[in-house]
Formats: sequence, C-alpha cells, structure tokens
Amino acid sequence: MLETILQDRFAVTAVILFGIGFMNLMLQQDLLKKVVGFNIMDSAVFLLLASLGYIEGHTAPIVEEGAVNASLYINPIPSGLVLTGIVVSVSITAFSLALIQRIYRRYGTIQLRELLEKAKKEED
Amino acid sequence: MSNGPEKQDWRTRLVSWVDGDREPKDQSLFVMEQRHRRRFLPTEEEHERREKTRLHRFFNWYPVAAVFIALTLVTVLLGTVLQMPLFGQESNPINNEVAEHYLEHGEEDTGSSNAVTAMILSYRGFDTLGESCVLFLAVTSVMMLLLKDGEDEDGKLARRSAREADQEEHGDIILKRTAWVLTPFIFLFAIYVLLNGETSPGGGFSGGTILGAGLILFSSAFGQRNVRVIMDRKTYSFIRTFGLMLYALLYGAYIFFGANGLPNYLAGMALLIDLAVGLVVACTIYGFYALFSTGEI
Amino acid sequence: MIVLEYILLISVVVCAVAAPLCKRPLVMVIVYMAFSLMMAVLWSLLQSPDLAMTEAAVGAGITSILFFLTLKKIHALKGTKDE
Repeated sequence: MLETILQDRFAVTAVILFGIGFMNLMLQQDLLKKVVGFNIMDSAVFLLLASLGYIEGHTAPIVEEGAVNASLYINPIPSGLVLTGIVVSVSITAFSLALIQRIYRRYGTIQLRELLEKAKKEED
Repeated sequence: MSNGPEKQDWRTRLVSWVDGDREPKDQSLFVMEQRHRRRFLPTEEEHERREKTRLHRFFNWYPVAAVFIALTLVTVLLGTVLQMPLFGQESNPINNEVAEHYLEHGEEDTGSSNAVTAMILSYRGFDTLGESCVLFLAVTSVMMLLLKDGEDEDGKLARRSAREADQEEHGDIILKRTAWVLTPFIFLFAIYVLLNGETSPGGGFSGGTILGAGLILFSSAFGQRNVRVIMDRKTYSFIRTFGLMLYALLYGAYIFFGANGLPNYLAGMALLIDLAVGLVVACTIYGFYALFSTGEI
Repeated sequence: MIVLEYILLISVVVCAVAAPLCKRPLVMVIVYMAFSLMMAVLWSLLQSPDLAMTEAAVGAGITSILFFLTLKKIHALKGTKDE
C-alpha cells in the first residue's frame, strides 16, 4: 500500500490538492478565497494529467536530429492538453475576478453571508 | 371586409394567450380558477426573523454537508488513483501508438521537432482554435463587466491624462528602473520563445503569455499612455480579431491542402499559426490587465 | 532528484492548505504565488518545459497581478480604503 502511494506520489498529491481546493470552494465565505480554491483544483487536475504522460528516464518531447525513436521521449499528449488548460484557467480566473469586482461595486462586500443577506433585503 | 376586425381580434387573443395572459379577453380558453389570495403578510420583524433563522439553519448544516461530500469525493478518487497503472512506467496504456506516431512522424508531418507544439498546432489544431475562441470571448465578457462607459469623451480624456501624468510623476523609481532594464530582455525572450516554438520548448501559448507579461510590466512602470502610443483601443481590437481570423484562415488552409500529406511549401505554416496563437494570447493577457487596472484599453 | 520531488510535493500541499487560511488577502495571494512557482518546478521535473514556462508566466505573474488589482479595487489592501 505504502509502496503504491510512494510510486503514485503525483496522483495522490493531485487528489489531496483537489480535496483541499474543493473544501475551499465549498467552505470559504470570502469570494476571493473561493477563486483561489478553484485555482488549486485546476492545478490538481493538471498535475494528474501531466503525471500520466511521464515515463521514468525519458526526456522532454523535443525530437533531436537522428534520434527519431519514440522510446526516448515522454508522452506529448497530456502536456499539450494541460498547456491549453493552463491558459484557459487564467481566463476563467480573470472572468471570476471581474465578476467579484462588479459584485463589490454593487453590494460593497464580498463576504458571502453578508452578500446573501443584502441580496435578500434588496429583493423584498 | 367585415371579418377583418374580428380576425384581428382573434389573432390578438391568440397572441395574448400564447404570451401567457391568464385571461383571454372574453372567451376563456383557460381560465385559472380565481381564488382570493390569502392575505398572509407577516409583520416586518417576523419576516426578517424567519429569514434569519432560515439562513442560520442553512449555514449550520452547509459545512457539515460540504465536508462530508468532499471527504467522500477524496476517498473515491484516492481509491481510483491507487488502482491506476503505476506512475512512470513505459507500458502504461496511455503510451499507445498515437503518442508514438506523434513523436516519430511529427517532424515530417508538420515540420516541427517539438512534439507538443506539433500536436497543439497541427494534429489537434481545432482544439486550439476553440481555445482561442474561449480566450477571445473571455476578454469580451470581461470588457462587458468592467469597461467604463456613459461619460462624455472630453471629460474622460482630460481626467485620464491628468491621472496618468500624476501617476507618472509619482511613479515608483525602483519599478521604473527595473522595468527599464528588464523590459527589452523580456520582449526578446518572448519573441525567441514565440518564433522557436518548433525546435525548442515554447510556442504560441508560452510566448504569448510572456509577451503579455512584458507588456504588463511596461504598462505598470511607464503608464498606460505609453502603451497606447503603439496600441490604442482600435489597434487592440484589430490585433485581437486579426490573430483569431489568421488562425482560422491558416488552419482552414492547412486542412484544405491535406494536413498530413503536406506539400513542402506549406511546411513553414506552423510558424505562422504559432504567431497567430501568440498574438491572441498576448492580447488577451494585456487586455485583462488594462481592464482590471483602469477599466479601459 | 526524488528527494526534491518529495519536498516539492509536500510543500505544494502545505501552500495549498495555507493560502486560504491566511487572514490578510495580500498574504494569501503571495502564498498562492509560491504555490504556482513550485508547480512550475514540478512541471519541469515532469519533463514538460513548455508547461513550466507557461505556468511560471501565468501563475506567478499574471494571475497574481490580476488578484492584486482586484484587491486594490475592492479596497482590501492597506492604504486603499479612502479612495
């Protein structure tokens, strides 16, 4: 068991990070902290994906002249997927931060509990 | 002639029925049973108190449920992960013939020896096209949320220039000097990464983000007015759209000319596609900064 | 190398736990920045230099700048209260 965990260290770390991020997303009252939790979840998913493509002892997938042999390099597919994912995660972060700014401008707070109370009051 | 108004009437009735009016004028297609609504308005305090208890109860139970769900999720995921093939073995099912093909034929197929760039820009270019659209839309939606509007143009300009002059005068000297030294190197590195994405690590996404970061450093040190000299809002929108269009066009041509059995004269196309992606990404990132810091580009 | 991996993995988890627990939002963003930097080193340990470069520029640079600007806008930094 312990050996499996040590061998799968990246995947296990990714799951732990995912759990931490998820807890933050659910439990924090501060919207900014929710966004940080969301980003941590992002990183966890990327870590899991990238660790799947890694092969012990192989190098980065930049094919050298005269060494066209797939058994020298790691798997390029997860890297490519994660690369697009990282850039998208920035835009998601920017969008949610913009939403937070608008919420602050409207309600004057970003604490979820106060926010809900204020919104309720305004609704009535 | 005489049934004109009647027809009209019929049509309006139908329309009002479709629109969800409860009572069509006289002929009742659907007449909801009209019942006097029970007057049940609790007093203001009572209402507030009830709302408070409801919120209170919600916030009492919410953490317990959240922790429970999170722990269950982590347990299930951990179990799954430990059942997965071991980390770093060559015989893992993910290392199948697709990756092998990308690595072994990537260079002749796409003219790019960096397999990741080859994959992003050529083999899975539609993926990247969709992703560029995501970036484009992200900037657009952030613009919708943060762009300032509803002011007269003159006052805005005057205030903007006054504010920027002020900012320039009282700018941080450490930031200014450091930026003065660092900016050229950052731009140089960004362009290197952008143009050499095929032979070394990097490519459109990395180069674009570094370029955007350099623009941000420049803009925050020397004021946004100096960036506006080379890139005002019109140019910005133009570059942003141009990058995406260029990408779509080039990739369309790429597919049209028969992606894999690529004629030789098209081998340099990956570089141009790379450049288009870099433009889109850099514009996206600088746009975020500009919109967040001053609310305008 | 493997020792470095363990150190980085553990400190990534520590940073992820610590970041949202910080009282001051500024400290939270800085800890998150450290988290991103360590992720960048991890990518390069996983032999993905493309990812490492992008993450270093994005995570430590751009995301943090966006967070800082947001903090300024919502008056959560010291000295931005009366604007």
